[in-house]
Amino acid sequence: MTATAAQMPQRPDLAGARVTFPRLVRAEWIKLRSIRSTVWCYLVLFVLSILMSVLPALVVNRSGTAVTGVDADSTVATINTISIHLTALVVAVLGVLIVSGEYGTGQIRSTFIADPRRLGATFAKALVLATTTFVISAASVWIGAFASAPILSSRHIDVNLGHSAVFLPILGGSVYVTLVALLAFGIGTLVRATAGGIAITLGLLLVVPGILSAIGVLTHTQWLLDVNQFLPSQAGAQLFAFSGDAHGVVVHAGGGAAAGGPADLTSPNIQLDGWQGFWVLLGEVVAVGIVAFTLTKRRDA
Amino acid sequence: MIEIQHLSKRYGSKLAVDDVSFTVQPGIVTGFLGPNGAGKSTTMRMIMGLDRPNAGTATINGAAYTSLRDPLRQVGALLEAKAVHTGRSAFNHLLALAATHGIPASRVDEVIHMTGLESVAKKRVGGFSLGMGQRLGIAVALLGDPQTLILDEPVNGLDPEGVLWVRQLCRYLASQGRTVFLSSHLMSEMAQTADHVVVLGRGRVLADAPIDQILSGAGGRSVTVRTPSPDQLVAALSAPDVTVRQAADGSLSVSGVSAEQVGEAAARAGVVLHELTPITASLEQAYLELTQDDVEYKSEVSQ
Repeated sequence: MTATAAQMPQRPDLAGARVTFPRLVRAEWIKLRSIRSTVWCYLVLFVLSILMSVLPALVVNRSGTAVTGVDADSTVATINTISIHLTALVVAVLGVLIVSGEYGTGQIRSTFIADPRRLGATFAKALVLATTTFVISAASVWIGAFASAPILSSRHIDVNLGHSAVFLPILGGSVYVTLVALLAFGIGTLVRATAGGIAITLGLLLVVPGILSAIGVLTHTQWLLDVNQFLPSQAGAQLFAFSGDAHGVVVHAGGGAAAGGPADLTSPNIQLDGWQGFWVLLGEVVAVGIVAFTLTKRRDA
Repeated sequence: MIEIQHLSKRYGSKLAVDDVSFTVQPGIVTGFLGPNGAGKSTTMRMIMGLDRPNAGTATINGAAYTSLRDPLRQVGALLEAKAVHTGRSAFNHLLALAATHGIPASRVDEVIHMTGLESVAKKRVGGFSLGMGQRLGIAVALLGDPQTLILDEPVNGLDPEGVLWVRQLCRYLASQGRTVFLSSHLMSEMAQTADHVVVLGRGRVLADAPIDQILSGAGGRSVTVRTPSPDQLVAALSAPDVTVRQAADGSLSVSGVSAEQVGEAAARAGVVLHELTPITASLEQAYLELTQDDVEYKSEVSQ
């Protein structure tokens, strides 16, 4: 402007500075680990998952008779997936918080100013959430499994973590927890408010199945019971249910015999297996995700 | 350069920004002035791609903000203090933003130093004062060493030393050839910082001119005169384009003539003067005149 005008400095250190997806992932990882409450949640989750495998192992099989075969596999799988019920709730809250916290504090505007296309940052956030959740869940569950194995053996239970009937549910539990985190993330992205997001997510996981099932049974409405099987928590439960014998699954679904015979109107006709449960829940996560991402792109921040 | 063309934004039934067009030139500081609720922040958010306009376009050096591959390198923005997660430290906030562009951590330390945040950089932002939040916002804006700066109310909450710092920073950045666009509802602040002013009222552009022009255009100049014989002076000054008003304290406000002309007329008529003061309209007066019909929240006690 004037004779004294300075020049804009050359910045060789900023020469390659531009947005890329790996950089957005790195940024979201920094953000995830720099919020103290998130770190604490994961820590608590880690410790509780281990304890919830070890503590039941200390009190199981009081009679001291040898447990082998399917019964042993069922016991081992069940003990090592008890924690999933709790973990799922914790990550449901975390998944909502990780995005609603940004909207609540105004951080989201900083996020979108750095990535004005928005989808990269949102995907990166989901990826970091999913990866962290899976790694921490799997690590804690397997540490718990290996820690409880000698205890169970000492109580005359035949532990075979290598049996697919055992390790698939244990692994499936972590997959379920990860999908729940992503579902919560999608709902949080849609609702953009912490209280509402958590209420909807926990309601969907905990309350809706009970209501549908109660109404279905009371009114003898078979399709309600069948629809219930496709809800995230019901479909997802098949991911970590022991399916070494048919009765194990049915008992878990909350009613009498399902296979064959006339419907007795207190239990669903439809029974998903582990893989079907996975695909149903994954489909729901993707569906919510598509709506959430579309709105994220279009809405004012 | 920021170019705004026929930009409009509607929130429900309220037209927050109404067909706004103006250009912000590089190399100077452009002020964005207007009462609360005039649409300044909304306009800035639309420039930054945060809000979608109902009509019109906003471009930065010819490109829409949302199309930029290196937005932080192109534009630095302070849109509101504390657009930051309250649970995160200032350092980590800057580090995460830098990471999105691959900006080295050394630059984070640099902007922390530039904004004087060293002592609080590792503390959580939730405990920051308004002034600290503003400094962090400015650090974010400077992070990518951008060509264009958009600062919404940057001096809000700053202490006098901070205000002076922002003023000097803006002038310095503009002197480097950057585009500097800052909003304020403080007229006095603009008078000292901006070269050019865009005045907004109720979502419309009321004025878009160099600051000198805004100042001189507002009711022109006037002269305050005190005399023991006002009637004689009024008679001596009487001319078609001269108006004289008597204030409550007995002084006269004369417009349409210069102070020299008033003095000469008084001497010719033999009128004694106790005071003869030329008055330049302040930006404050100019602003009030421009926006008096366009303020959203009018208080009844004014004047």
